[in-house]
Amino acid sequence: MKPALGVRIGSLELRNPVLVASGIIGYGAEYERLVDLGAIGGIVTKTVTRHARAGNPPPRVVETASGMLNSIGIENPGLEGFLEIKVPVLRDLPCAVIVSVEGEDVPEFRELVEGVSGSGVAHAIEVNISCPNVGPHGMRYSTDADMAREVMTAIRPLTSLPLIAKLTPNVTRIADIAVACEACGADAVSLVNTFVGMAVDSVTRKPILGTVLGGLSGPAIKPLALAKVWEVVQAVDIPVVGMGGITHPRDAIEFILAGSTAVQVGTALFANPALPEDCVAALETYLARAGLPSVGDLIGALDVPAGRGTIRAGRSVGGTS
Amino acid sequence: MNLVACSVVENREITPGNFLLTLKVPRAFTRPSPGQFVHLRVSPEVEPLLRRPYSMEGFSERGGIRAVRIYYSVVGRGSKALATQPKGQRLDLIGPLGVGFAPAPRRVPILVAGGRGVAPLLFLSRRLREKKRPYVFLFGARSGRELYGVREIRGGRLHLATDDGSVGYHGSVLTLLKREWEAAGHTPLTAEIFTCGPHGLLHEVAEFAAAHGIRCEASLEGPMACAVGACRGCPVPLRANGGRYPAMCLEGPVMDATIVDWGRLP
Repeated sequence: MKPALGVRIGSLELRNPVLVASGIIGYGAEYERLVDLGAIGGIVTKTVTRHARAGNPPPRVVETASGMLNSIGIENPGLEGFLEIKVPVLRDLPCAVIVSVEGEDVPEFRELVEGVSGSGVAHAIEVNISCPNVGPHGMRYSTDADMAREVMTAIRPLTSLPLIAKLTPNVTRIADIAVACEACGADAVSLVNTFVGMAVDSVTRKPILGTVLGGLSGPAIKPLALAKVWEVVQAVDIPVVGMGGITHPRDAIEFILAGSTAVQVGTALFANPALPEDCVAALETYLARAGLPSVGDLIGALDVPAGRGTIRAGRSVGGTS
Repeated sequence: MNLVACSVVENREITPGNFLLTLKVPRAFTRPSPGQFVHLRVSPEVEPLLRRPYSMEGFSERGGIRAVRIYYSVVGRGSKALATQPKGQRLDLIGPLGVGFAPAPRRVPILVAGGRGVAPLLFLSRRLREKKRPYVFLFGARSGRELYGVREIRGGRLHLATDDGSVGYHGSVLTLLKREWEAAGHTPLTAEIFTCGPHGLLHEVAEFAAAHGIRCEASLEGPMACAVGACRGCPVPLRANGGRYPAMCLEGPVMDATIVDWGRLP
């Protein structure tokens, strides 16, 4: 018998736990010919902001050792542009669509959640309170538990869609933020967003990125991301969506073992558009070989030495089989 | 545009640090236009992490076998890894991508190449020759041995320039362009410019074109992550910004040179 791959995040049932992260796949159509969307759990769209954003000055990307620094600056058409141009395209995608939103303040978050919720295309909303590339506001909401609470409390009553709070790792204790989001009605938390980083050109004596600082992603951050996931899964009961440097299908399985109910593939998709579907296939094979009937049996199945931590997240939901 | 497997037919160092790569591609790789590019996995290993965008130097189709040619210089980690790929190595690429050159039917194309920027212009010149269209090819490089592919340029009028004076005019290809424009009596209605090379040169060519009202297309270069318009990592700054950065991978790499804000393009 084939293992069951379905997982649940709030009321959202995913056919499998492999998603593509925000900022990677645009609004799906860009990668339609390269990624088999019918084979994966879903996609998270490029973040939509209240007003259109032109993004940051170039250069916006640079490859670093086993990683990539980016400072895109959430270039997007804004809520109206999203509703007009992107929604019709998203409607036809053969997978779950999680729309990522980010407001500059609480009223903007409200308008975004209402707008996206009303569009009818979103299966869930990822609340991006963690982008490092949008000036003083963005990341602030997930570096301070009180501010995260303020946003989540304001938007929770506005939608029945699952709300996934996306967290930054650039904090002292990420678990505090996750707990705050859970307490204010988040259905899940996703982590990690990128780590703040910087690259310098010794020849030109200039910072390489146009904004000096950017966000680091790619395999370089996987151990850091796993540690943050590990911290959070011990602190909350809601599902955790894990990501950060997944480059090989094995990496996805590691995040699930560490307590992630679902995973997101990011930067490595640029090099290997088949990675998400490869992750699904590898997960199925892994479960079959282990004789496990469902992915729920693998979530948080990490064999931890006694007294070194207990996974809580996602235990109550598990698989949908 | 497709993701296709490819294999190295030849990866030859033509002059120190400059390579000509020939990749066999399957039929799923659609016929490219000069100026379009491919997003190439430069190694079967995970590192370097990202693909690298390369303009095509040529495309051939013989006996049902399709091949893409790339002329590249070793400048960083990606090209260094690519230079070690042996004959027979299997890689993959996404392509053809982006917008290529669009010569107008009735104008004389003046091709202005700087250094390894000659690659897409060689491709263009071959297409022009196939269509029996006359053209002018102006090619500048640091020295004579970097004048790659000059013997390939047939069916057009060729003028060379080198920084060291070893071959052709001793100086910039920009001077060749100015001379050509005056001496041959071109007008914006009878001729147009296609250029590729260091951005400093493209900036100068764009200013000359703008000052004379000449249509001018330039092929740009820059880092890209996705190369399909999703990540927005390759913005092109415009002179009249309009709150918009076109993605080089989608709206380029060939763009109207006179609208680009060259001072803000790295």
